[in-house]
Amino acid sequence: MNAWRTGRILTTVLIGALAVPLMYGVLHLPPPGQADAPAHSNVSAKYIEHGAEHGGSENLVTGVLLNYRALDTFGEVLVIFTAWLAVAAVAGTARQTGHESTPPSPIVDYVIRMLAPFIAVFALFVIVNGHVLPGGGFQGGVLLGAMLILLSLAHGGEPVADVVSLRTWIWLRAAGVLVFALVALLGLPLTGYLFGLPTDPTLRHALMIVLELGIGIGGGAVLGGLYFSIAGVERS
Amino acid sequence: MSPIELLDLVLLALLLTCAIGIARLKDLAACAILFSAYSFILCLVWAHRGAPDVAMTEAAVGAGITTVLFLTVISRVGRREK
Repeated sequence: MNAWRTGRILTTVLIGALAVPLMYGVLHLPPPGQADAPAHSNVSAKYIEHGAEHGGSENLVTGVLLNYRALDTFGEVLVIFTAWLAVAAVAGTARQTGHESTPPSPIVDYVIRMLAPFIAVFALFVIVNGHVLPGGGFQGGVLLGAMLILLSLAHGGEPVADVVSLRTWIWLRAAGVLVFALVALLGLPLTGYLFGLPTDPTLRHALMIVLELGIGIGGGAVLGGLYFSIAGVERS
Repeated sequence: MSPIELLDLVLLALLLTCAIGIARLKDLAACAILFSAYSFILCLVWAHRGAPDVAMTEAAVGAGITTVLFLTVISRVGRREK
């Protein structure tokens, strides 16, 4: 028996050993939608009961993201920024391959030019309405990033990457982390807790929109940056 | 079986088909496209399960951005798995 066969048999045994306890666990989960299951009766019940009032947002998901679990969300924003740093460090230094990309057909070019402003407006709508409708900073940010990438695909990356200077891009990409850290620190004088949002509804709404805008613009700029680095448009 | 359960079953079967396809294909560009389809089906599952926030993220990130990033990387490193 050669090493390759042994490897395959060991893999099968390992997957089996993992799968059996996992499936056993899944079989004993309460059926989906059962209201008195443990997952729905303690913390989540409180969120659903008081979330709109305490979390400061009609959309309970946004309330959980920006208020109850703000530290988690701060971690996510930090992870996205770190991902771009890593990609820029690895791919941004690689020598650009010299092949010329073929320009897209006039129709594709025209459609992308037409669509881009609408995508931008929709992205802003998704970002600032995150507290009442599904969506928010992350989703809107991805839409902004998608617009940047679409434009880069149509016109080549350089004109899009040169809209603002590299320094400005870096500040924009850090926007999510910086704005979130600032609002978290603001919580200290306003409420006495880090990541605390004030109880005054107007001020809280304003701060949540600032947070969403920071996450959205930062996220969009990071996604654009990921594309620029991978496509070799931007050297860092 | 209710129609809702049937829809779930069909979607999950499609997900499984996509996943097996991605694992078996050697053409990376085809994998990226299939992965996009996988994300879109998963997005339908989330929407159907009453999680519009997650569905939106799945559609934008999974079906949109990651596919473009995958294809960009593939255009630089070569299309066939060695």
